[in-house]
Amino acid sequence: MSEYQITAGTEVHCELKSNTKMFSDSYNRFGTLANTNINAIDLAYPGTLPTINRYAVELALKACLAFHCTIHKEMYFDRKNYFYPDLPKGYQITQARTPIGVNGYVEIEVGGVKKKIGIHDIHIEEDTCKSTHFKNQTYLDFNRCGVPLIEIVSEPDMKSDQEVILYLEKLREILFYTNVSDCKIEEGSMRCDVNVSVSKTEKLGTRTETKNLGSIHSCGAVVLAEAKRQIELLEQGKEIHEETRRYDEKKNETVLMRVKETGNDYRYFPEPNIPPLVLTDAYIEEVRSKMELLPDERRRLYLEKGVSPVHADKIIQNKPLSDFLIGLEDIDLVIASNLLLGDISSYLNKTEKQLSDTKITQERFRVLVNKLAMKEITNKVFKDILIDLMETDADIDAIIQAKGIETISDESSLLEVIRQVIADHFESVDDFKAGKDRAVKFLMGQIMKETNGKANPSLANELLLKELSQR
Amino acid sequence: MSKYLDQSILELHEQLKKKEIRPIDLVEEAFERIEANSDLNCFITLNKEEAIRQAKALEEKEVDQPLFGIPIAIKDNISTKGLRTTCASKMLENYVPIFDATVIEKIKEKNMIIIGKTNMDEFAMGSTSRTSYFGAPKNPWNRSRITGGSSGGSAACVSARLVPLALGSDTGGSIRQPAGYTGIVGMKPTYGRISRHGLVAFASSLDQIGTFSRDTYENALLLNILVGKDERDLTSADRVEEDFTREVGKDIQGMKIGIPNYFVSDIVAPEIREKFDEVVEMLKQQGATIDYIDIDYIENAVTLYQIIAMGEASSNLARFDGVRYGYSYPHPESIEDLYRKTRKEGFGKEVKRRIMVGSYLLSGDNAKIYCDKAFQIRDDILKSFKKAFETYDLIIGPTTTTVAYSLEENLDDPLKSFMDDVLVIPVNMAGLPGMNVPIGFNSDHMPIGMHIIGNLFDEAKMYRLSSFIEKQLQLSLVPEEGGNNE
Repeated sequence: MSEYQITAGTEVHCELKSNTKMFSDSYNRFGTLANTNINAIDLAYPGTLPTINRYAVELALKACLAFHCTIHKEMYFDRKNYFYPDLPKGYQITQARTPIGVNGYVEIEVGGVKKKIGIHDIHIEEDTCKSTHFKNQTYLDFNRCGVPLIEIVSEPDMKSDQEVILYLEKLREILFYTNVSDCKIEEGSMRCDVNVSVSKTEKLGTRTETKNLGSIHSCGAVVLAEAKRQIELLEQGKEIHEETRRYDEKKNETVLMRVKETGNDYRYFPEPNIPPLVLTDAYIEEVRSKMELLPDERRRLYLEKGVSPVHADKIIQNKPLSDFLIGLEDIDLVIASNLLLGDISSYLNKTEKQLSDTKITQERFRVLVNKLAMKEITNKVFKDILIDLMETDADIDAIIQAKGIETISDESSLLEVIRQVIADHFESVDDFKAGKDRAVKFLMGQIMKETNGKANPSLANELLLKELSQR
Repeated sequence: MSKYLDQSILELHEQLKKKEIRPIDLVEEAFERIEANSDLNCFITLNKEEAIRQAKALEEKEVDQPLFGIPIAIKDNISTKGLRTTCASKMLENYVPIFDATVIEKIKEKNMIIIGKTNMDEFAMGSTSRTSYFGAPKNPWNRSRITGGSSGGSAACVSARLVPLALGSDTGGSIRQPAGYTGIVGMKPTYGRISRHGLVAFASSLDQIGTFSRDTYENALLLNILVGKDERDLTSADRVEEDFTREVGKDIQGMKIGIPNYFVSDIVAPEIREKFDEVVEMLKQQGATIDYIDIDYIENAVTLYQIIAMGEASSNLARFDGVRYGYSYPHPESIEDLYRKTRKEGFGKEVKRRIMVGSYLLSGDNAKIYCDKAFQIRDDILKSFKKAFETYDLIIGPTTTTVAYSLEENLDDPLKSFMDDVLVIPVNMAGLPGMNVPIGFNSDHMPIGMHIIGNLFDEAKMYRLSSFIEKQLQLSLVPEEGGNNE
């Protein structure tokens, strides 16, 4: 008996990071008092008409470009009609016929192998309002109503929970880096639905849709839970029905919400209040040229510069740090990433500051990294001057002098210390002769200890090697 | 009783400027006339207190332009801040808007005085104004007859000289047809000429606000202040400013006019055709070239209208759900129950019929079968009109197939209602401007109108022809007080 193959696809709703709503000029803000960011358009008062938020269109276009989509240069909007209390107009304005982008992809790496996950389409639409059920009453908050969304519909290209997780993480990373969305799943600015089917043959099985998952991890869990449930049913000779399910995180299983009715009738038709929107080639190129480096491009650069994959990922995960390195590509990125992820991050955590709140400019950081690379200062010295670097404007050399931290660059005094250290650790000379690099590092450490870190590292290193080779 | 409101706007303007009369004189006279003619049922809501307050405040201001201090009536589907806007529906019986339509802002900016909100078919759905929740308005020429619709109240109050000007809306003839039935000038400008922001939507791709007046010149004066690009209506047109009165009074020597054969076919009553032919003869004698032409698919326009208008209406009226404003069924058991009963009780029969038909037309495969096809043919109608306008300056026909009929007639025939608009609907399909100008009366002394159709944004030329006809015919267009009851 052959194995079941899992097939999964996702639909991701992403709120765009615009100042105002998609079709009205009220604010797009999360976490404000209920029903404060609303106007007559959001509430669908009679006689109101939609306008177009050009910036939101630009964000959607950026997403399409980042995901390599083909752009619909003449876009239309459509109405999707249904009754629900969270939908004040009785219809949602969306793009059914001409989604802004089609046929894109996201590249993920599964077990060292690159794989493209297809994106069927990206379309612009408006969010619904938020309903809260409390004691047999429903309360409506229209702040979210009309917030611009893009829906990113993948192809059913994912074959495991791991692929779904990698795809969604990559999706989120790119949307975050392009400033399209803040992608906060916990605030609902990114919401995921997962479609799963299983089959033993080439022909795809019947799929189910699990809606509104609370985390990327849950999306992965749903793939496994749904596959397990479906396989059990099939093994019992039962059929899978097309249905909408939700995920019970505690039980780690999906629960039936509703069976999909045949021909869910949304009575789509062209939105008569919005004329076709034309995106010119010049405009598309202008938007493309304004786009920041994508995370994968940054990652490639870091790795080329010798940064470890772990550190590269950590920098990418912390966009302000990654942004700080833009324009500093010529410095030693290994040292730079060590500093940023190490002492500087600790300092920021401890003081609850952002990098931009400190006095460490890119220029001062460049000097610092270069001094460390040239071994003009030691790591110890760096640690001693960190707070001054962060909190004053003073020149690095001036800080060092003011703190009385001077490096010992006097050959004779250094030689004295070096000879003493060698005498104290004679076994290291044998190690050195046996070709163990460790020995040099160990002896350098001892030298630094003896000099309270004040030895000029490059000079001390040079002298140490000379001494050792003479033994 | 004073007779200021029988004078022309320019005459009033001169007297206002010289302080011989005050705006309050006009306002008081308008309300006197409205009260004396309350049986016409033209108004749903009067704006008396505010109008008087505004008129008094205007006494301190400089009389800067002809519309200063002139009373105007507003169709009750145009949003007026703080003034009840019902759409003649129980659904909005107590709805008081929180914003002004763009046209209302413009009217207020020009210091015109809003007298009240006029009666109409419920949500503008009808051709007789009889679907109004507040009862039908009556035709000033004969109070047992319909005003036409849907802008029946606006047409009747201008016809009866209760106010000199009124705003209406025209989705499928709702300005031109009642103007024809009541013997006044009614203009539906090019789609996009006037912002729809604040017009309660019936069929958004067809709806257009327009103007009612006693004559052509005053119509053009009002149109002048209403047009223009509006950031709040993406379909509003960005055009260079123009003076629509500029061609009023010019002669028509050399003008080329087309008459679609369908407009003079046997769907039109003989006495209307006769009157129309008389005027056509006159135009020929005065130097116009007139040809009979064919416009493709205009005989299908009513069917297309039903598909597009009802489809859009079914979606546009979905917002009336009892949740945020308007009628709300008081004791719902569930959200479905709230929707069902609010809409069942809040909407009248014709509105519900159109919502149901419209929903059906958009459902499943029907959208493709009916709507996509309708949109295609609609484009073809515009193309055919445009081709005609390569040769002709204007296109004319009768406005209606009959004169205004009895309030009791055709009550049970929902399809007949659409046929009242058979000659005016093609214009909405093409987005063209169309207007009615009175050309005479039938044997019962009921008004007969001519329909003038212009190319896109060619309203000024239409006013030229209609003003010429007015000058030539010199009709007496004031209905006798009380009307000639049969």
